[in-house]
Amino acid sequence: MDKSKASNHRQEEGLGQELEQLLAKVAPPKAPAWFAAKTLARLREERGSSKAIGSWGVGWRWIWAAGTAALVAGWVLWDRPKSGSEISDAMVFAALDALVEQEEENRWWAGL
Amino acid sequence: MGRLNFAGRVTRALQEQENAELFGFMPEAMSDGDLMARVASGDEEAFRQLIERHQDRVYGTVARMMGGAGPEAEEAAQDIFLRVWRSAGTYRPEGRFVTWLMTVVRNQIFTRTGQRKRRRDIDGEDVVDPESGESFMEKQADPQVRMASEVLSGKELEKAVEVACAELPENQRLVVHLRQYEGLEFEEIGKITGMSLTAVKALMFRAREALKKKLSGYLTASK
Repeated sequence: MDKSKASNHRQEEGLGQELEQLLAKVAPPKAPAWFAAKTLARLREERGSSKAIGSWGVGWRWIWAAGTAALVAGWVLWDRPKSGSEISDAMVFAALDALVEQEEENRWWAGL
Repeated sequence: MGRLNFAGRVTRALQEQENAELFGFMPEAMSDGDLMARVASGDEEAFRQLIERHQDRVYGTVARMMGGAGPEAEEAAQDIFLRVWRSAGTYRPEGRFVTWLMTVVRNQIFTRTGQRKRRRDIDGEDVVDPESGESFMEKQADPQVRMASEVLSGKELEKAVEVACAELPENQRLVVHLRQYEGLEFEEIGKITGMSLTAVKALMFRAREALKKKLSGYLTASK
């Protein structure tokens, strides 16, 4: 009794007995012959090509990284202040002495 | 043994693969989950077994959804298995394998039919049935007229059912196929289609009404 109730309920929710029987007469097509073999062949082919692309991809990335590193290094070196441009204390004092001397000379010429 | 997590199963699969290579032994009656664990470790033999086990199910669904068997359906079915191979590492055996597989099938079909629809919109291109040489649009044009003029026979009934199913909206067609031919429960169909149980049942109801209308001649004749 419960079984028939369940089956009735299933049919109410489903397509109904008559339609189900009609559709059952028309089975969906089966996979063609050699389907598995062809799929495996495609898999191997794709794995082969992706390996080739992968190795080129790694090489390409290295080239890109090296180029970027070279550019950054060049820019840093170019922008760095020159080491010879440092001014020592002696040079400052010499310049001050020269200024004082100049000032004294000016005053002498002016008769002051 | 049955409670092993996926990583454990992959490790076991690798050990078994080693044994298989050493002793030339490969158990035939492995569960789908175990086969997937082997596939995740790159075992092509396990993948072949998985394909052979599910090829009719996948190909049949693809063919029904894409308007018939042929090279396009075969290519789509192969794409599905290749996707299974690629996703094997992320597969988690939480539910039935078939539910997961049919979700992959559904996604692939909807992507393909979407592309085909866009192509048809742009180019006005139609798809031709490789068996009859008849266009898919032509096939769908007026099945009622064809049915009335044709004598009832096995082949014609087959055609009428195919056309009636093809005329259903994609979601309804998929629900009918999964229920009728794959024998899946509504809950599983809901998981596959990403719909609630009520939505799936509503789709089924609408599909039933549409099919009854389209196949009314055959239903009365079969009485």
